[in-house]
Amino acid sequence: MKIADITRRAGRSLSQAKARTVLTSLAIGVGAFTLTLALAAGEGSRQYVDTIVSSNIDPQMLIVAKDESMFGGGDEGASLAGTGLREYSETATQYAGLTLKTLSPDDFDKISSRSDVEKVTPTYLVNAQYLTFEQVEDKQYTADVTVYDVSVRPEVAAGTLPDRAQQQIADDEVVVPESFLKTLDITDYDSFIGSNITLHLMQPPKNLSEADIQSLAATDGLAAVEEAMQGESREVTLKVRAVSMQSATSFTASSALFISENKAKELSEFLTKDTEQYRSYVSAMVLVKDGVDPSAVKADLEKDGIYSVTAEDVQGLLFTFVNLLQGIVIGFGLLALIASIFGIINTQYISVLERTQQIGLMKALGMSGRDVGRLFRYEAAWIGFLGGLIGAGLAWGAGVALNPFISDALGLSAGTHLLVFQPVPIAGLIIGLMVIAVLAGYFPSRKATRLDPIEALRTE
Amino acid sequence: MITVTHVTKTYGKKQNSFKALDDVSLEIPSGASVAILGKSGSGKSTLMHAISGLDRPESGEVVIDGDNILTMKQKTVDRFRAEKIGFIFQSFFIQGNESVYDNVSLPLEIAQVPRRTRTQRVEAALEAVELSDKIKNKAKDLSGGQKQRLAIARAIVNEPQIIFADEPTGNLDSVTGDTIEELLFSYNREKNVTLIIVTHDADLAKKCDILVSIKDGKIESVTQKDTGAQS
Repeated sequence: MKIADITRRAGRSLSQAKARTVLTSLAIGVGAFTLTLALAAGEGSRQYVDTIVSSNIDPQMLIVAKDESMFGGGDEGASLAGTGLREYSETATQYAGLTLKTLSPDDFDKISSRSDVEKVTPTYLVNAQYLTFEQVEDKQYTADVTVYDVSVRPEVAAGTLPDRAQQQIADDEVVVPESFLKTLDITDYDSFIGSNITLHLMQPPKNLSEADIQSLAATDGLAAVEEAMQGESREVTLKVRAVSMQSATSFTASSALFISENKAKELSEFLTKDTEQYRSYVSAMVLVKDGVDPSAVKADLEKDGIYSVTAEDVQGLLFTFVNLLQGIVIGFGLLALIASIFGIINTQYISVLERTQQIGLMKALGMSGRDVGRLFRYEAAWIGFLGGLIGAGLAWGAGVALNPFISDALGLSAGTHLLVFQPVPIAGLIIGLMVIAVLAGYFPSRKATRLDPIEALRTE
Repeated sequence: MITVTHVTKTYGKKQNSFKALDDVSLEIPSGASVAILGKSGSGKSTLMHAISGLDRPESGEVVIDGDNILTMKQKTVDRFRAEKIGFIFQSFFIQGNESVYDNVSLPLEIAQVPRRTRTQRVEAALEAVELSDKIKNKAKDLSGGQKQRLAIARAIVNEPQIIFADEPTGNLDSVTGDTIEELLFSYNREKNVTLIIVTHDADLAKKCDILVSIKDGKIESVTQKDTGAQS
């Protein structure tokens, strides 16, 4: 018997038992539904992570640090969660209550002298005591201040940014995130452009020697000692160049003021002047030349005791979480599938019993046992196909219906969806289900293959 | 030409065994109509199964047109049945849920007849049994006589050389039974097809060219109608 004819007959005998076929398919459909959603959610999450990573980190960028624990990979048992007892190091810096080793000027020389490195930018820490806005009088605010990252050009809500990538903003300019304007209650973005923002910087208290304090106290009194210990303060006025749009994927663009690299360096050095932290930095951004694999540079730097993470590392870490969650959901889908396998076996056994005479007749008419077995396996394949179609179809429908709500709830930008359905994996899933169904139909079909036509056709 | 020589078929094992066919030898010329007459359990069905290749007796030979079907591979026997043999059963064994067309088309699909010629042949077969107007009906909606006519159409659609009919009129009233008998015999005469009827109905058996009586797995008598002589 020809394959096409067997397939047609298999489909026809299923359509003659519609209720049973649909119910058995639904059992597979549940598994297919779960698996399709898991695939869609996994794909959507990976695309989302990709967007996040690419809009925050240049793929050619390395974040380098002297202290491995910066990246949670320290083998000294230290992490950001807690320090424990650690050996004192002269090049260590207290940072947010943690002691971290810093990159020395030597380290910077080492990195920037490499032929495969385009540029090294230290992570400047500019902790303004407070800042004031020209348009908002009598109020002081605090906010993070970071370097404008030329490789990740944010979308602007008002004003302009330099056209070409790799071009910095001017030293007296600042880019303000849209969220700040909401806090300030400013709605007229256009008039905000060009207005001034003033940063108030305060140096940390100076360390005076015992002798200095004694001599000052003796000559000018205690007030003079206090004054001498007090660090200098300074006011820096910057002009607003642009307002960066709020983005679900770019974190820094929505949470910090951007200033130029030169300005950041100047302010950072002013703040750390005469302290141990002067010109030493916890981390730095290294831009690797085009065509050079960042992970090769990473491995090289590690030999010199300089640790780093690449964009790929960050992506990989996030992917691990996505994959884990996807794996759990897929596990549930597979459980549902296993349950449905028994459904198929049961249905097909009953079908073989019900159609004993038909099988006997077909064999008497010269149909080979192999073809009879095939007939039942194809029926199982049909059930798998139907189940896959039902499950994937329902999942797709549910995804289309739910995506707007999910995007809304997670604050994803328009056009970004958490559930991304791709035709190829879904087609693969359906084919996989057909294969599973055929395997499940193996034992019933073997029973049909072995059926003795004389026994089957015995009427009394 | 069908030649059966020394065929023995035993069912069961050792003490419980009994011989359904005991050293049976028989010769059936091509185009003859043959009745295998016997009571229930006489071995007449087993003989039919042996000649049609459905069953495999442990000893003896069944030679059809020069080939011993007992030594053929299963695959070859299957193809032989699909191409050369038609079956008609007492309880019809038609597929009620399928259309009349699909019922008749089944043997052609099994014999891998190309799709184009199939329609033609199915229509011709239904024409021969006067069921052309029912071609699209569900088989279960037919009456008993129509069902057996449908079974005959299915048996003749692939133009077989031998037709086996197992109690073809057993489930029918006498008038309908006569029609079916007439249909079988006229097809046997017109197409020169060997017709082998298995029955316990002596009246039906008398209408055949050769009457083979079987009892306890042994051939009791073979009567040729033309001469009336027994051998």
